[in-house]
Amino acid sequence: MIRPAPLVGLAICGWLLAVMILGSGYDQRLMALAAAAALMAIGYQLVFGQAGALSLAQGACFAIGAYSAGILSRLGWPLWAELPAAVLVPALLAGLAHAPVRRLDGHFFALATLGFAVLVRLVAVDAQSLTGGANGLAGVPAFGRGPGAMLVGWGAVGLAAALALWLKRGGNGPALALVRGDADLARASGLDPERIRARGFGLAAGFAGAGGALQAHVLGLVSPDVADFQVMVGCLAMVVIGGRGSVAGAVLGALLIGHLPEWLRPLGASYRIAYGLGLFACLLVAPAGLIGTLERAWPSRRTTGATAPSPVPPTGRPLRIESIEKSYGGIAVLRGVTLEIRPGEIMGLIGPNGSGKTTLVNLISGLDRPDRGTIRLGARALERLSPDRIALAGVARSFQSPAPPDGMSPLDLVTAALAARAGCVGFGAAAALDPLHRQAEGLLRRSPSSDIARALALDPAILLLDEPAAGLDADARAGLALLLRALADEGRGLLVVEHDMGFLMGLADRVAVLLDGRIARVGTADEVRADPAVRAAYLGPAAC
Amino acid sequence: MTGSMPAELTVLAQLLLNGLALGAAYALVALGFVLILNATGAINFAQGDMVMLGGYAAVALARVLPVSGLVLLPLVMLAMAGFGLLFSLLAWRPFRQRPPIFGLLATVALGLTLQEAMNAVEGAAPQAGPTLFGPGEIRFGPLGLSRASLGILIACLGLGLAQAWLLGRTQFGRRLRASAQDPVTARALGIPVDRLIAASFMLAAALAGAVGLLLSGPYFVTPTAGNDLILRAYIAVTIGGWGSLKGAVAGALLIALFESVVAGYASSTVATAALYGAVLLLLVVRPAGLFPAPLGRRA
Repeated sequence: MIRPAPLVGLAICGWLLAVMILGSGYDQRLMALAAAAALMAIGYQLVFGQAGALSLAQGACFAIGAYSAGILSRLGWPLWAELPAAVLVPALLAGLAHAPVRRLDGHFFALATLGFAVLVRLVAVDAQSLTGGANGLAGVPAFGRGPGAMLVGWGAVGLAAALALWLKRGGNGPALALVRGDADLARASGLDPERIRARGFGLAAGFAGAGGALQAHVLGLVSPDVADFQVMVGCLAMVVIGGRGSVAGAVLGALLIGHLPEWLRPLGASYRIAYGLGLFACLLVAPAGLIGTLERAWPSRRTTGATAPSPVPPTGRPLRIESIEKSYGGIAVLRGVTLEIRPGEIMGLIGPNGSGKTTLVNLISGLDRPDRGTIRLGARALERLSPDRIALAGVARSFQSPAPPDGMSPLDLVTAALAARAGCVGFGAAAALDPLHRQAEGLLRRSPSSDIARALALDPAILLLDEPAAGLDADARAGLALLLRALADEGRGLLVVEHDMGFLMGLADRVAVLLDGRIARVGTADEVRADPAVRAAYLGPAAC
Repeated sequence: MTGSMPAELTVLAQLLLNGLALGAAYALVALGFVLILNATGAINFAQGDMVMLGGYAAVALARVLPVSGLVLLPLVMLAMAGFGLLFSLLAWRPFRQRPPIFGLLATVALGLTLQEAMNAVEGAAPQAGPTLFGPGEIRFGPLGLSRASLGILIACLGLGLAQAWLLGRTQFGRRLRASAQDPVTARALGIPVDRLIAASFMLAAALAGAVGLLLSGPYFVTPTAGNDLILRAYIAVTIGGWGSLKGAVAGALLIALFESVVAGYASSTVATAALYGAVLLLLVVRPAGLFPAPLGRRA
């Protein structure tokens, strides 16, 4: 069954053809300019729509492309050398600008990219000798009038769209959805959000550069207006209105925003009020954009028939935690924790609230770093690795709040982790989606929660489970216990943090008690239960 | 009067004095930004446009009511508080259950609409608003301060202190801080969180309106005047430590003094370039601002 995005693509092709045959020179020029904007918006989908980073530098990259094309063509560069340069220059500058700020999160990243945009604008307006200052650059060779420029422009859009679709094909889609939905969860699933974002940012800059160059050649000039923040706002509007993340949505958004002044011409100069209100209304009633709203209204496609998951080889490496210390703001949470989790065993971890159980799991999985101490899986030191490396090295974890991020199905979530394990980490290399889906469905059937299935997708040697039984009824608990035993029998080591003592005592081979930031006792369930110190401090007299 | 200060020092002191008034205005914009940020976690990209709107409100009021800015200031703040309420209904309420990016984009869209609306009504040409203490300059030895700048300084200091009192010393402020810290618990304790959030928007808009009036006199107002202000407020809040009121004020003063001094010795272009260069550098060295909030994620 045909999906909405290709349908919209077809409709756009029809529109283009009509303008090409029936439209006036003016209409065709408008279409060529819309193509320039579409190139920028398609690129922006990679960094904002796909990788989920609010970059405010896309307009600036468009301007860099326009100026590169203008400057180089006036220097007499031929088109075949100048156009690739107009793509590469913004991509390289964006790469340079991104390197120092790659660790920044959310609004800090937005601010840093905004700073980059302001600096680009200053150069455009003030570096007279380079950019022509307020006068801009005139005499850029123009692609002929009539359908010629339109043909070149939309040919480029076609290529760019194909490239963008290729970049997010297969398992990339769910992996990118996880990266923008929840960065920590993505890291724990073996994905590196910073690297994915850096790639998206650089690629987006290249697309924007192509758009800028096209605009320079359609207009035959470069004006400093191209570096205005309005260009960035327009790009944001195209992507939001068209549909975040969708290539067809970016093109549709660019066409609509590009023609809005024309359609609202009766309103005169105040058409821009309607533009602002339209953007707002779109956020209000169709937050997924035109394409996203269509996708949701469309009957959904089911992937068919699942086979059993591929058998997992026993792994057999112990996890050794030695003298781990961690304090927050001068308060010691862990004061030297030493613990070994052997292959094939279920280790329970108990301790009163605030004793540092979750902190320990966070340190092992790399979400936080220990102040002192070592963590080794077999011979490999983990304590300085990033969470995604740790996850891929064979230590997976589940979280206490197991709901997939907004808009992701459990199937997507598990598929994202499978894709990460298959080495497909956002933009570029990809594993085919259908086998991943089949595998994910198998794992989901096996697991009581999508988050445990996600952790299992990493095929871990060591599995850390943070309160897996919370919120499960008796039947599900029994199922979970069977699953955990089966996983241990496959040769995996399990660390289970749990409040439900009954559940843990019947299941764990050994139980470790965390008291005041230290392991107070490790032993069988009976030994721990009999230990007077543990009883006094934790289980209380009623537990005897 | 002849000062005993060496000439270079006098120049520097004068530049710092000029920067101080602007810094005070930036600080009020940043305070409004942080108020909304703390109450809702939302980034209000239209805070600068609210300042612009306040400026035009002052210009319009001064046309029908040709009195001192001192009289108009409370009127403009009142009107803007009303606008703040409307704004919260549009930009916050419908988006509170959605990912924060939607609220942010909604404020961008509304800010854009405001700019274009004012452009349609008043045109792009700069308009002069009222001043608090009239024209002219006051001399302090070798240093001079325009009456307009003095008005900005005094008004911003007064409003800043009033806000500190409101947030720190009143029941309203305690409830506001409680609901900002933990809305779920606050709601359970019977604190009307939604109404307090609306109040934060009203307060932030009133502060923006005050700044709009204060700046409209000496610096005029244009439909796009808010863009520079929101950028500076955003930088101030970021380098000051996301969410910290004191940090926002410190950040705003730092930016204004930096700009004033660099612009005085070089040019305003160099000042802007140096400012953003410095911010980028700062973000590299201190990725969470000067005074980072101690945030921890419990998995």
